[in-house]
Amino acid sequence: MSESRPKPPRARRRDLVVEQVADETLVYDLERHRAHCLSATAAWVWRHCDGATDAAALAARLGRTLGRDADEEVVRVALHRLARARLLEDPLPPLRARSLRSRREALKRVALLGISVLSIAAPAAGQAATCITRAACEAFPNGNPRCTGQPCCDVAGKFCRSQGCGQTCCCHV
Amino acid sequence: MEKLDRLGWAAGLNLVTYGVRIGIRTNRPEILERAASVMPPGCTRAAGRVADRILSLTVGGRDSNRNVRRFHLLYSDALPLARTHDLDEVFALLEDHVKLYVAETAPRLVFVHAGAVAWRGRAIVLPGLSYSGKSTLVAALVKAGATYYSDEYAVLDARGRVHPFPCALQERTETGTRAVPPTALGGAPGARPLPVGLVAVAAYAPHVSWRPRRLSPGRGILELLAHTVPARVRPKDALGALRSAVFAAPVLKGQRGEAVETAAALLRTLDAMDD
Repeated sequence: MSESRPKPPRARRRDLVVEQVADETLVYDLERHRAHCLSATAAWVWRHCDGATDAAALAARLGRTLGRDADEEVVRVALHRLARARLLEDPLPPLRARSLRSRREALKRVALLGISVLSIAAPAAGQAATCITRAACEAFPNGNPRCTGQPCCDVAGKFCRSQGCGQTCCCHV
Repeated sequence: MEKLDRLGWAAGLNLVTYGVRIGIRTNRPEILERAASVMPPGCTRAAGRVADRILSLTVGGRDSNRNVRRFHLLYSDALPLARTHDLDEVFALLEDHVKLYVAETAPRLVFVHAGAVAWRGRAIVLPGLSYSGKSTLVAALVKAGATYYSDEYAVLDARGRVHPFPCALQERTETGTRAVPPTALGGAPGARPLPVGLVAVAAYAPHVSWRPRRLSPGRGILELLAHTVPARVRPKDALGALRSAVFAAPVLKGQRGEAVETAAALLRTLDAMDD
């Protein structure tokens, strides 16, 4: 029985804020509050995911655009990075490298072509603000909107939260 | 909120800071000035009775007639913020809450949790978490001749210029923090908005030298976004301001050692850009 070919990838467009910064592309995901920085090549792959062009065809076009070889395996790695960032409409089947060496070789080619997708979680207001002492955090009754994750000054790695606390907010992971 | 509105408030005032209108009302007129004194820098009295946020402060204390000790209560609109016998704690919470509210909602401005100083007409922005050494580095830069803008927020406009937020510098001590007025470091704080000349993401680590790598503009913006207060509520505004800020400014990232050496290196870097 033959495997059905995966659907050609389609770029997600809804609920995104996209900003061009020199040759990089910044994408803010309004649904998940994550921000991504796409290198020029990663952004090229993303923009050409039109739901009709499969990975092999993308690789051929990318190679012509860059003026050097770009194989299908490299494009598949790029697509997986975009999918992991939730920038494609549909999930992709898992990557299957023939061997660990083959996968390492593919990743080297990905790096040489400058394909990168860097992602961060956008902070909630409290998380980006000045830290709060534990005493100040515990002065808020539980459920208070100020328990929004402001970092606790005197408890490293913990944030002022409602969940997992008693009658007042507490410094929690 | 209606229940609070029906209480007899003895005094109130309206203030505006960075375009945000704050109303304060209380049952004790004599504490109104103290409440105004903990508002963000640049706060001025505003005419009218409309406010974006109303802070209601009921001062408790001992009621000698009934031998009862009443709590001090603080509300932000209808939401309780504090219920305590410690009035200093109430004012600390009031200050903290209003600062965060302004940072999140100031119209046309984007607050980044960062230190900021000015050097020869351009701003140096130092984003970082609390306890990353921002205040120490800001103090070292000011002592080296830079102009103080803030050790808490770099306030960006849509053109990417940095506006001053000259709160007292928070100097860490063994027992907590100490507020140091900017004038104690030398000179008056900055007053006018300036373009960004340099962004330095410099977390302190002992016994290291400042040997940063330069980030691409896109990655530099992500570094700043990670410290941007209104990132989630106004992402388009935030990205736009950050993009303008780094347009002509390198973003450097690395670990730094002692603040005095790092400050000198940052100023040399900015000077070298003019050569």
